[in-house]
Amino acid sequence: MRFLRFLALELGLRGVVFTLVGTLALVGLYLASVGASADLYLKTLGAFWSMVTLNPDFSLQTAGFSAGEIISSGAAITFPLALVSLLFLVVIALVGASTAASSTYLRTVQGGRRALGLGALGGLLASLLSAVPLFVGFWLLYGSSGMNPSPMLIALVVVVLGGLGWDAARFLTLDMKRQIDTTHTLVFSTLGPAVGRVLPLPGTVTGYLLNSAAPRFIPYVAGKVPAIIGGVTIAEMVFNFPGLGSTLLDALVNMNTDTLIAAVFVLLAVNALVTFLVKSALFVLYPRWYEKAL
Amino acid sequence: MKKLFEILGIAAVVVMLSPFLFAWVPGAGEWTVGLPTAYWHSLVTSFRQLSITLAFTVLVAGAVTVVLGYCSILWPVVGKTTAAVLDAVESIPAILVALFCYAPVAVALASNSASTSTILSLSVFIFAATLTTLPEAVRGVALPLGELYHRKYSVSLRSYGFTRGRILAVLLNSKDMRDVLRRTAAVILLKTLVLDCSFSFIIQVGMGANGTPAHTSPGGLIAAWRMVLLRDIDGSRLMFWLPVILLVMVSFAFLLLLGQDKQKEQHA
Repeated sequence: MRFLRFLALELGLRGVVFTLVGTLALVGLYLASVGASADLYLKTLGAFWSMVTLNPDFSLQTAGFSAGEIISSGAAITFPLALVSLLFLVVIALVGASTAASSTYLRTVQGGRRALGLGALGGLLASLLSAVPLFVGFWLLYGSSGMNPSPMLIALVVVVLGGLGWDAARFLTLDMKRQIDTTHTLVFSTLGPAVGRVLPLPGTVTGYLLNSAAPRFIPYVAGKVPAIIGGVTIAEMVFNFPGLGSTLLDALVNMNTDTLIAAVFVLLAVNALVTFLVKSALFVLYPRWYEKAL
Repeated sequence: MKKLFEILGIAAVVVMLSPFLFAWVPGAGEWTVGLPTAYWHSLVTSFRQLSITLAFTVLVAGAVTVVLGYCSILWPVVGKTTAAVLDAVESIPAILVALFCYAPVAVALASNSASTSTILSLSVFIFAATLTTLPEAVRGVALPLGELYHRKYSVSLRSYGFTRGRILAVLLNSKDMRDVLRRTAAVILLKTLVLDCSFSFIIQVGMGANGTPAHTSPGGLIAAWRMVLLRDIDGSRLMFWLPVILLVMVSFAFLLLLGQDKQKEQHA
């Protein structure tokens, strides 16, 4: 029953319904802004229905990208880029939080000062880096790698220079540090396990801290998915990838409603799918916390 | 010593926010410091418009946040409905919201006078920015306010016969909540800054001369002069780097404000 409720809410409501309603709302806003006639509204609604029902006649008269190509580009470029960016985000947060939390732990146990200075310097550098505008990072990447940089580099720039990695590491670090002085952690530390300086692996102190922090961290990561999709969209525009970003902009400029519908729909669908995957992790690992997060 | 660091921190933040202050100095657009007059004028205008956008967004979004946070605690049904709506808004990438709120208005901007276009442009962008910053801001205010309300309401203030609205007003003016509101304002400013510059950048890259000239921003200026950096065309590289450096300064100032509040929160 709990599983069905999860599917209905996350896949049905927040996945399918939000994607459909979001597409209609954004395209409706566009039509209202350009002062579209009633005929164009009806035609656009017909095109939307045609796309949703996978009608092969959809957008046949449109020059440029067909709906099938738009969906393929979403599946082939935007979706993997978003997933890789998400992976980078999680790894950066885990390493950053583990390093900071283990330094604090060693300081409270052994009284070391060096770790404090290094931690403060690292934090300052990370925040300075995240203050660099994301698109400047893209231009520097463009300058060093040309027009076709590796997708892995693009994903890394989206996370690091988009400020997402810094923010996620800070969120997880604060949560893990808050738990260091709790009774459970102190009892756990008397067993003398490894600290887990670089990664919070199972069986280490930071691994234990992560285990307690994860139910709050996973919903946080889910909330960052739209920002990742936004960053990936900007990257596609900058590097002129045949992805959804540049298609969307072309459709806006050329007032091509069919392409616009398909691009927005696929972007929102990718967004919903990645969020669903993250929420599924929360549901499988921490079902009680998922219920609380509702 | 701690006091000295605090004073130095405040001074550093003020220095880093100086581009906004300088943009409003009378005649600032005429001091070209070795750069082409038109470029310097665009730079000053872009920071002037950005400061207006940030000021109005923080005022509008801040006011709406406080009202929504307040109402959602007084009336749980309102709270649940608001949370569901904001949840839906938050699930759409912010840059899409800005694009769809603003870019289509290009037709209206082109058919109006310059001053009307500027006002319309600012209004539409403030609306888009407010919409995208609201979910996090409302959550950031409603959660701590709710915790304070449910913790203190029953133990002390209720015994004085205060109404629920008055209790909330008292709590909202407490030191804890003032810190929360300051932090919320910093988050709104930072998100709006990123959104404004990213949006202008996209408009410049994607639409070029067909874009919306009424929206001037350092992000658009960076995009306009990108070729100076990438290809050795005429022009100084300073034209690309100057707005970048100024934007980094401003962003870092907001991040410092956020960081200070987080430290205070940790000590509390």
